[in-house]
Amino acid sequence: MMRFGERLTLLPAALLVLAMFAVPVAFVFAEAIFTPGFSLAHFDRFFSRPVYLSVYLNTLVVSAVVASICLVIGYPMALFIVSQPPARRPLLLFLVLVPLWMSILVRTYAWMVVLGREGIINGALQWAGLTDGPLTLMFTTGAVFVAMVQILLPIMVITCYSIMTEIDPTLVRAARICGASGLAAFRKVFLPLSMEGAITGWSVIFILSMGFFIVPALVGGRRDVLLGNMIVNQVGQANWGFAGALAIILLVSTIVLLGLVRLVMGRFVYSPREAQA
Amino acid sequence: MKGLTRRSLLAATATLPLFAVAATAQSSELTYAGSGGGLAQVMDILFDKPFEAETGIRIRAIATTDRISAMRAMMQAGNPIWDVAELTPVEYATASIEGWLEPIDWSVADPDNLLPEEAKLEDAGVAATFSTILAQRTDMLPEGQQMASWADFWDVEAFPGPRALQDSVMENLEFALIADGVSPREVYNVLSTEEGVDRAFDKLDEIKPHVAAWWSAGAQPVQMLADGEVAFTTAWNGRITQLRQDGIPVETMWNGGALKPSYVGILKGTQHKTEAEQYIHFMIGDPERSAEFAAMVAYPGMVQGLYDHLDPEVGRELPTHPDNMASQFVVDAVFWARNMDALQERWQEWLLD
Repeated sequence: MMRFGERLTLLPAALLVLAMFAVPVAFVFAEAIFTPGFSLAHFDRFFSRPVYLSVYLNTLVVSAVVASICLVIGYPMALFIVSQPPARRPLLLFLVLVPLWMSILVRTYAWMVVLGREGIINGALQWAGLTDGPLTLMFTTGAVFVAMVQILLPIMVITCYSIMTEIDPTLVRAARICGASGLAAFRKVFLPLSMEGAITGWSVIFILSMGFFIVPALVGGRRDVLLGNMIVNQVGQANWGFAGALAIILLVSTIVLLGLVRLVMGRFVYSPREAQA
Repeated sequence: MKGLTRRSLLAATATLPLFAVAATAQSSELTYAGSGGGLAQVMDILFDKPFEAETGIRIRAIATTDRISAMRAMMQAGNPIWDVAELTPVEYATASIEGWLEPIDWSVADPDNLLPEEAKLEDAGVAATFSTILAQRTDMLPEGQQMASWADFWDVEAFPGPRALQDSVMENLEFALIADGVSPREVYNVLSTEEGVDRAFDKLDEIKPHVAAWWSAGAQPVQMLADGEVAFTTAWNGRITQLRQDGIPVETMWNGGALKPSYVGILKGTQHKTEAEQYIHFMIGDPERSAEFAAMVAYPGMVQGLYDHLDPEVGRELPTHPDNMASQFVVDAVFWARNMDALQERWQEWLLD
């Protein structure tokens, strides 16, 4: 049990969250249910018009795909960095982090330069004689995936890396001494221990993706609309009630889905700290 | 920390409110909610600095987006932190219907009666005008041809090439109806019927497969034209003038363009109503200053005598120039404030379909 004095240290942060986040969010939620009088009309509108449900499903699919692509690319990257001598790791981590310091807007515009009709890729393909005319790369769902993965990938690398450094390397060595092949030692010892980082990274990226709207608006096509775009749209039209309802649906479904992920994956996850204890 | 006694702390806090009172009493300051960027820089030179020199009232110009939500929040809190705001047509119509604007005393804001009646509304003035027009890359047009009407934009056989439109139901329905043969003056009569809306969406069905991009920010069509990403797109007129000056071969089509006033209004509950009216007079009621403004940003006001002070070369590029004015229609802010919600929903469905 924490002593009272220790809990007190949390007070400033708790007050900040309460005043700057919880209370305003509560107002938004109240707006969804009480404008004009108490009614669930805004939620009814969401569930009765196919356009909102299809945008909602699209948001879930895009977020899950982006998080999974980040996992497939980011986990091996983290593994590579951990396998390097400790003196070289800071430089590699620095290179991973550099893109995070650039604004999302700048990076998205950079992708427009790369993917455009007269962009770098199309220029190179035509110069090499591989294509006759420009390929349509911009304003496609593919462009949305590429840009979002590039923006979010560092988060996956960092999360996986930090858990991997906590894994006691002697555990893997012990497995090898007991006769496990390199692959088996990785699969049976290292992978389960690093799973926590992988799932945390996946979850964080999933959450962040659920709220994206600038990237799909700038590089996506007319069907690449996420719930975030809808909320921006409704706020712009001063429909706070409906925007609030959309925000509630986004928040609740994100929490429920993450709860499910934790519940199912909880069985397969061992914390490195547990292994040491 | 020894030096800081409880008494000295008390003394310090006790004097604070005095300073605050003194500060508000002597400095007269107006907060102006504009769009920021280059426009704010021009306004600072042409309006804000000279206004302060003349009246001693300082203008605190802030860059804002999404002014509707901000105003709603201020009105709910009962405390406007802006005094004067620049408003788009739909923002103005919403604010006016909701009663968020002070009535303007035009004897203060237009003492010499130089503004035409349509620029002097009960609770707002027309600050500037801009048009959504069709912009075309002349080097991507068929030899010796140019689009001259919305029907041409729809004609993908005669004018092949990637197109872009704004991701906005407003104006696109109007353009579609004009392309379908409705006269610009009749557009809103047709649109106020169910069949008229169906007719507009049917016409948009024809062009949908040929539209590569649906832009949402005003900088996007400029960028796409400059990069050759699209050959033909709707855009805001001032940015196309700018793009041509930057050396990109683009031409503006005024025929069937959508003229939109931008309004300036005073927020309900402000402490500085008279000062705000003086500022509005300074901004929109002086032909010479308005001409200078129009020469710099291409968004002219409506004050009488403006074009007398303007280089005809520059004047020809402007939305309220008599030559350009004739073939355009004025966006009906009230129609859109009333119908935006339902039509936007249908637009979203149509886009995803």
